[in-house]
Parts: sequence; structure tokens; C-alpha cells
Amino acid sequence: MGRLWTYVLRYWRRYVLGALCLLGTVSLVMWIPWLMRGAVKVIEQGGSLWDVRYYAALIAVAGVAQGVIRTFSRAFIFNAGRDIEYDIRNDLFAHLEKLPVGFYHAQRTGDLMSRVINDISAVRSLLGPGILNFVNAPAYYLYGIVLMFSIDVRLTLVALLPCPLLMYAVRRFRGRILKSSLSVQRQMAELSSHIQENLSGMHVVKAYTQEANQIRDFVELNRDFQDKNMELARLRGLLGPVMQALAGMMILLVVGYGGWRVIRGDLLIADIVAFIAYLHVLAWPTAAFGWMLSLIERGRAAMERLEEIFKIEPAIASPAVAQAVGNGKQGIEFRNVSFAHDGKVNGEAIIKDIDVVVPRGRTLGIVGRTGAGKSTLAQLIPRLYDVSSGEVRIGGRDVRSLSLGELRKVIGYVPQDPFLFSTSLARNLAFSRDEVSDEEIEAAVQTTRLDRDVAIFPEGLQTIVGERGITLSGGQKQRATLARALVADAPFLVLDDCLSSVDAETEDVILRGLRSAIDEKTCVIISHRISAVKEADEILVLDEGRVIERGTHQDLVARGGLYADLYRQQQLTEELEHID
Amino acid sequence: MANPIEPTNGAARNGKQSAFRPAPDQQPEEEYGKAYDIRLIRRLWRFLVPYKRLFFSALLLLPLLQVCGLAQPYLMKIAIDRYMAGGDLRGLLGIAALLMVAVLGEAVSGYAHYYLTMLVAQRSLADMRVAIFAHVQKLPMSYFDRNPVGRLVTRMTSDVDVLQEMFAAGAMTVLSDFVMLVWIVAIMLYINVTLALVSLALIPPMFFAINFFRHKARRTYRLIRERIARINGYLGEAISGMAVIQLFTREEKSYREFDELNAAHRDANQLSNVYEAALYSMVEAAGSVSLALLLWYGGGEALAGAIGIGTIVAFKEYINRFFVPLRDFSQKYTVMQSAMSSAERIFQLLDTPIAIDNPPKPIVPKPFTGEVRFENVWFSYKPDTPVLKGVSFTVQPGERVAIVGATGSGKTTTIKLLSRFYDIQGGSIKVSGVDVRDWDLSALRRHIGVVLQDVFLFSGDVRTNLTLGESGVSDECIAEAVRCANVERVLSRHSDGLGAHVRERGSNFSTGQRQLLSLARVLVFQPEILVLDEATSSVATETELLIQDALEKVMEGRTCLVIAHRLSTIRNADRIIVFHHGEIREMGTHAELMQKQGIYYKLYQLQYATDEAPKPVDDDTAAKL
Repeated sequence: MGRLWTYVLRYWRRYVLGALCLLGTVSLVMWIPWLMRGAVKVIEQGGSLWDVRYYAALIAVAGVAQGVIRTFSRAFIFNAGRDIEYDIRNDLFAHLEKLPVGFYHAQRTGDLMSRVINDISAVRSLLGPGILNFVNAPAYYLYGIVLMFSIDVRLTLVALLPCPLLMYAVRRFRGRILKSSLSVQRQMAELSSHIQENLSGMHVVKAYTQEANQIRDFVELNRDFQDKNMELARLRGLLGPVMQALAGMMILLVVGYGGWRVIRGDLLIADIVAFIAYLHVLAWPTAAFGWMLSLIERGRAAMERLEEIFKIEPAIASPAVAQAVGNGKQGIEFRNVSFAHDGKVNGEAIIKDIDVVVPRGRTLGIVGRTGAGKSTLAQLIPRLYDVSSGEVRIGGRDVRSLSLGELRKVIGYVPQDPFLFSTSLARNLAFSRDEVSDEEIEAAVQTTRLDRDVAIFPEGLQTIVGERGITLSGGQKQRATLARALVADAPFLVLDDCLSSVDAETEDVILRGLRSAIDEKTCVIISHRISAVKEADEILVLDEGRVIERGTHQDLVARGGLYADLYRQQQLTEELEHID
Repeated sequence: MANPIEPTNGAARNGKQSAFRPAPDQQPEEEYGKAYDIRLIRRLWRFLVPYKRLFFSALLLLPLLQVCGLAQPYLMKIAIDRYMAGGDLRGLLGIAALLMVAVLGEAVSGYAHYYLTMLVAQRSLADMRVAIFAHVQKLPMSYFDRNPVGRLVTRMTSDVDVLQEMFAAGAMTVLSDFVMLVWIVAIMLYINVTLALVSLALIPPMFFAINFFRHKARRTYRLIRERIARINGYLGEAISGMAVIQLFTREEKSYREFDELNAAHRDANQLSNVYEAALYSMVEAAGSVSLALLLWYGGGEALAGAIGIGTIVAFKEYINRFFVPLRDFSQKYTVMQSAMSSAERIFQLLDTPIAIDNPPKPIVPKPFTGEVRFENVWFSYKPDTPVLKGVSFTVQPGERVAIVGATGSGKTTTIKLLSRFYDIQGGSIKVSGVDVRDWDLSALRRHIGVVLQDVFLFSGDVRTNLTLGESGVSDECIAEAVRCANVERVLSRHSDGLGAHVRERGSNFSTGQRQLLSLARVLVFQPEILVLDEATSSVATETELLIQDALEKVMEGRTCLVIAHRLSTIRNADRIIVFHHGEIREMGTHAELMQKQGIYYKLYQLQYATDEAPKPVDDDTAAKL
């Protein structure tokens, strides 16, 4: 909650102003019944018309003034809440940007989204309407009770008789509503993940004609959801009328007991009128009381959930004192590198004791079966993950000694998953920098053979590629991500199996173009196809995280090991491709 | 509700359908139209029909609710003017009793109305969710290729939720609110015409003022919804693409973009706060000013004794009750508007043609022979780029046929067509002598067991993944399947046996283990035809041997159509079909094809050489088994 206070303090002026306006509003609002009492008293005791009109004029003035000040109070407080919402959301986003890839693998996107959207909203409700009512309700009560007491003590005591019942009701409902709404949320989450799974596995559902069973399961979950919703509706629906009835009882007591005293002659009708008016004013804060408590509780729980994320220290960050990227002859080095997700290299390590140097301007090829650890090895270079032991050096310096931004700026990286943003193709290609010339994009488009595809896109490079690039084929997406890395024009280039969905012929053309484009660069090329690494200065063959073969293409083919196997398979594919 | 952004489904991802395809549903999710669209309301009504008794009961409670509410000020007037002023205690107590009835009546009928409304809402919306879910089950695979999972989830969750909000916010009762306004005016006129006219004097100007702010507020509500949707979209994308953002050190740029969306959302909200605050305050102020007018003009009559104090009290109450619904109307209107656009989207989904459906007279041929015959089959995912070009072949009952070919040659498409996941554009596919389009769809699919490369497991336990929730599968049958498919070894590592927990998408099982489970699934369902797309990704040698052993048992006695990636599969096949660029180029037994020295010859030689290469691991692991 400490964090919340720093945000609130940032806008303290507006909160104070808002609270002052609020007090002003409450004062004016509570003055009106007093004035009405005055007017009625004149009528009751037979004064002059102008005395009544005097009160009427004051009521009009108070009413209008109250309206004006109220507008300000609400605007101040609610808008401060919105400002804080904005601040927290920005801060959380900035924090998320610092968290490493490993964090995102352990999290579900939907879950994170709900924190950034729903939890922050809940916190905002606490800081806007929550704070407003927090000031409002006590002020109203205090005024109301003092004024009523000043009119008549006994009537006040009688009128407030239902109060304990009211408090009891509030207490009872508050916890139950919160619990019930949480269980509705949980059931909703369950329902959505069922739907999501059903849709993702639709081919299985259809192949095994499980539609009916899927519907049956869904109906069951849906019924649970309906029941939980009804439970919540029952509680929510009950709270309002209960409060309303209790407020009604208060008025009833005033009419009954007060009326009796009027008849006895020791109370004025004007006093009763004032009481009724005061009780009406108090009815709203009373009804809103339970709601306010749940706002506070929900806001606090949401803030705690946000805090859980805020307090995660980015596991991968720039060092306090960063070195400049070195100019050493060694381009990229892996020094006895091991890696395991839990950091324990003795157990199920993904990378085991890799030791290799890629001299500046040279190319390292990495091949191996799926799951051999190729991608993980590549991800260690730009520090998407940190080594568990050993070190990765770039330009002669440990990557962990460099500023993260500087390190990543010198690396052009093409990840295995060809992720594109749902903007235009051109903007995706120019993603790496603010200013990219058309020529640079054009060159990258040429090199990656995207030119023919772009030509048939409805709006060429300006075509919007859709969510995750849904409108592009797998090969097009891969080539676009390659082009994006080429546009970045970094001295180091890491390609993680980025041409797997591209047909062999196109791959060949791209590789040839690439060779001249990357002549000066230090490259790490990962591929499940031999063709992409054939020309590399050194090739590593990985299996279960270890290097099992290494050497040039000729060496490895001659050795007749796994590499040679893969190579033969490759040749087969190629030959087949060439038969029409 | 958060809007989960999910990876797109199916073939769009594996890139088998090349070239550009326009994104479906590219228009923004939030669109605003009328608040009352009679066509949509009529369709919504159909979901209410089963609960119309409850619905009408809820509606019938409204007049009672209003009478109880509107009686209170009037009773108060009588209590003050007649009994307090007249000094009649007995009468006062009588009125107090009536007032109590009115107060309790209002509370009880208010609760009953809300409860019944919510009951109708929950039940009919639950039905609607099932209707959408059931409809989606029938949609063809091509639909899922085009539509992201997240969007469909939204239809069944958030969009239905918006409709629920419509009920909860009382948007359905807008009409009765107006009836109440009329009643209030009538009662006031009945009590005192002049006074009524004076106290209602503010209504015409207020009406315009409220209308003005309502209009403004509505515009900002719309902006807010659009902008939060944009934040949602941006955020979902940023989270899924965080690695890319970090790799290209674009954190600052993304932050700036996010900040922009975030600020736009804040601004719209702050504007709306100001409008709402002004609207709210204005209504409050109007109440006070009306009271002042009432006293100003009514003061004389009251002093003269022509009207009682109670009348003033009652009028004050009625004025308050008059303005509240006017104030709330703008919110209800917005709720209605978004409900209509949600309904529109839901009905659009419900109207999506099923495309691949049972024929009018579905055939279930008996006896089932298991023969598969492709006759001059033409197929394309999108016009002008045929994937299959006149493919013809026959698989005899019990025959084991391997399909061989390069990536993109049409192998996977062929097996998808057999189960009628897609309909062909030319030729015919016959199973047991009957065109698949004339077959009873579910009967057809029940005869065909499909094992795809990427094995999909549902979260839950192993058992339900084998039976897929099919009831009436005996334990013996499952045990037999588990034994034959070598799943026992998979389970031995999990303590709960068949009850072992399966995480989302089966992420706690290795690729090889998932393949074994999918083979066991086939054995549970016992289809006559087995369609298998062998995984290309390699698995640990030990598991590979287990899979080969299980495969042999699963294929035994079935008509098999296998996309072969294993040499053993090719060797053991009765016949091999060689696909090339969407056509069948060679077909025959292994020996015949070898003699031909064509595509298959090359393929086999190279594969054979690969397989014969010494692999020291093999012997070790084999010895362990």
C-alpha cells in the first residue's frame, strides 16, 4: 500500500481542494433542510409571506451554489483518480518492459492483461469514488446527527433506533458480496479457458466427433456459472432494498413518534419536516456504505496483486556500471556455457558446457534436432536469458557487463517465432529505429524476396498485417522478421531457424543475397536445414544440449555422423523439390 | 473482463496456405448504432421466450413497485396535513401503518423485481452461451483458420456479459420509468394545479440541459470504450511480443505509444467525469430551486391555509423522484447501445453458415468396408491456388498405404479432406463406396481415427484425454489401450496413473509421450480407418522405439493412410503413394517404385542410407528396454 500513497501524495493538492469543495457542498446541502424548517416554521406560526420568500431565496441560492461546488469537488477527486490510474498503468507497463522473457513464459497473457486493465480499474475506483465517499459519508453523518440533535434530542434518538440493524446488515453483506463476486470471477475464468481450449483443439473435437460431449461439459460449467451469478444477484439485489427499508423505518419512526409529539404540542411540524429531509439526505450515504466498503476492499486486493508484479526485480538488467561494447577480434564467444531454467546446471540442463569462439566477421552455424538447445543458445547472446554458468562474450566483453540496450542494439536478432505487430508491413520492417529510409526498407525487402509478395498485397508495404501477422503466410512472416533484423543493420546477426517455412528455392536465393548483405557481420545461424549453414566458417551440431560434432561442412559430411544424416535428408528434399 | 489475445488457430499459423488473405473482421470491435434495434430485440426476445412467465411476473411487479414508492409522499402529506395538524393520533397511527406497508412493499417488490429479472437474464443468457458454443462446434475448420480464438472467446464471455449488464442496469425498464414520470405529474396536478405547474416550471429547461449533457456524455462514453479497447489490444500485443520489443530495444518507443493511448483514455474519462459531475449537480440544484419556487409561490397559499405543509413536503419528494430517472437515463442509454452492438456481433456469429453439415438424407452404409477412394479430387484453400490437382487413388479395406512427398505437396490436405474437415471443389471422395458429402458426418468421423503431428491434449487428466469424455468406455478398454500403446511407461512417471494431471495443451508431457497418448486414444475409439500424420520432430530414441512398437499394434487390422516420416512405416506399407506438387506422381509397392527409379527411388535410397548410419545410442537404449 506504500506505493499507493506515493501516487496519492503526488496529487494531494487536488485531493485537498476536492475535499474542501466536498465539505462546502455537504454544508450547503445540510443547510437546505434547515432553511426549509425556517420557512415551514413561518407558515406554521403565521409569519409574513416575505419571510417565507426570504427562506425560499436562500434555498435557491444554496441549491445553485451547492451544484456548482459539487461539480468541482467531483471533478477534482474523480480526475485525480483517473490521473493516478494513468500513472500506475504507465509505470506498470514500463516495469513489464523490463521483465525478461522468462517471466512471460511463466505467466498467462490473459492474467497479466487483467491486472493491467481490471486491477488498475479497481484501484482507481478506490481512489475516485472510494475517497469521495470516504469524505462524504462521515461529513453527512456528522452534520446530520449534530443538526438533528440540536433540533430535538429524543426525536433523534428514536429516529436512529434502526441504526444498529443497519450496521449489522452492512457487515453481513459486505463480506458475502465480496466472496460471491470473487467466485463469479473464478467461474468466469474457468468458463473462458474451457472455451479457449475447445477452440484450440477443434480439430481433435471434430475428428473424434466429440462436439456433443464438449457441449455437455460446457453446459455443466455454464450452469455453475449461472448459479454463482444468481447467488451474487441475490445478495446484491437484497442489499439495496434492505437499506431502503431501514431508511424508510427511520422516517416512519419520525412520523409516528414525532407526530404524536406534534399532537401533544411539544414539537413543530417544521421540525418533523426537517428531520424527514435530513433522513432523506442521509439515505444515500447509508445505502452506499456497503458499496464503499467493498470498493475499498476490492481496491486493496487489486493493489496487492499489482504490487506482486511491481516488486519482481528484473532478473536481467544492465549492470550498475556498464562497459562499452568492445571492439575485440573475438566476435561472439561462449565460454563453458551451461544453462538450465532453474539455474541448476547439474540437473536437467538445456545447454551443457558449450565452448566456442566466432571471430569477428565470421559465421557460426548451429544445427541439431528439435529440442537440442539451439534456440536457447542463441537467446543467451542478447541476454533473453542469462547463462547459469560460464560466460557469453561479445566483442571481448561479458554480455552481462554491457548496458542491456547497447548490447541489443549491436545484435540483429530473428527469433524463431515470427512475431509481427498488427500495423503496416512497412512499420514492422522499420521497427528497430525511428528513422528508416525507404531505400533501406527496399533493400531488405529485396534481400528477403518479399518484393514479389508486396507487389500483390492490396496496399503494398502499407498493408496492415493483422494481429500477429495473421494475414501473412508462415514464410512471409519469417521473411518479414528477417527483413526487420536486416533493417536494424547491426554488426552482429543471430538468425534462429528463420527460413523453415520458406521453400528451398526461395531460401537459396535469400541465402545468396544475405551473404553479401552480411559480409562484414558476425553471424550465428541456426537452422534445421543444412543449406542455411553450409557456408558457415564453423558448424556446431547440438544434441541434448551438447556439441556432438563440430567443424566445417566438408569435415562434418566426411565424418558421417548426425550432420551427414541431416545433410542427406536435405539433399533428398532438394532433389524432390526440383522434379516437376 | 480482460480480452485474452491468443495465437491464431490452425492452418493460418503453419503457413501452408501461402499468399495474402484479408483479415476477417478487420473493423474495430466497438461500433455504435441504435440503442433500440427492433430486429435485434426480436431475436433477443427468442431467448427470453422460455422464461416469459418469469419475465412478465417481473414486469407486473413494476406497477406495484411504483405505487408503493409514489404512495409514500402522499401518505406523508395526509399524515401532516390531516392528522398532525388536526391532532388525530389514531389517524396518524393508521397512516403510519400504511406508510410502513408502502415502505416494506417497495422494498419487497423491488427485490422481487430485481431477482426475477436477473433470473430471466441469467437463464436466457446461459442458453445463449450454450447456443453460441454449440453453433461454433459445427463451424467448418476453415472458419477457425480465419478467426483468432480470442475473438470467439469474447463472443461467449464479454459480449454476453454486456447483455447481462443491460438487464442489471434496468435498461429494460426505461419505458416504465417514463410511465412513472407521467404518474408523478398526474399526482402533482391532482393535488394542486398551480403549485404543480410552478414546481414543474424547471422541467422544460432542465430537459434541454440534461439532453445537452447526456449527448456530450454519450459521446465520451463511446470514446472511453474505444480507447480502452485500444489499450487492451496494444497491451495484449506488447505482452506477446515483449521479446521482440526488448531485442530491438524499443521499450521507450512502445512506452511512448502506450502512454499516448493511456493518456487519450484518461482524457476521455476526465471529460466524462466533468460532464457527469455537472449533470449530477445540476439535477440536485434543480431540485432545490424547484423547492424554492414552490415556497415562493406556495408560501402565500400555505399562510392562508389553502394548502397544508404536508403538500409542500409531498411536492418536494415528487420533484426529487422526477429528476432521478431523467439523470440515469443517459447511462441506461449507453448500456443499451453497447448491448445492441454486442447482440449484433453475437447474432452475426450465430448466423455464420455451418457450411459443412449433414446432408438432408445422411447415409450410413452397411456393412462398412473401410475402402477409401479419391476420384479426381481438386481442392484449394483459396481460389486460384489449387493444393490438390486431380488426385485419384484407392485404399482397399485393411490395406496399409503410405503417403510420401515433400513439404507442401498436399499430403496433410489429403488426410484432412478424408474426414471432411474441408469440402472439395472437384471430384469425389468415397468412403465405403459413399461420397463423404452424403455420409452422416459424425458416423463418418467415427469410422476414421486421426492422429496429427501436433498432438493436442486437453487440460484435465490422462483418462479424459483418452476417452475425450465419451461415456460408456469400459475400464478394461482403457487399460487395454494403455497397454498396447505403451502408455504405461508414460504413466509410470506420474504418481496418479490415469488420473495424472494434464496441463494446458499437455505442456507437462513430452512430444513423444503425447504421441503415445494419441495412439492410445485411437485404440479407445477403435476406428476402422486410421489416418496418421507422423511427427517429423525427433524424440528420444527410447521413446521412438516405444512409438514404433505402439504404431505397429495400432495399425494392425485397420485401413491405414499414413503420411510417412519413418522408414519403418514405408517399409511396412502395402503400397506407397508419392505426392508431388499436389499431384500423385508415383504409386505402387515398394519394389515396383524402386524399379521405376523415379522420385521414390531417390527418396528411399537417401532415407535408407540415413537410417543405416550407425547410431551408437540405439543399441544402448535398445538393450535397456
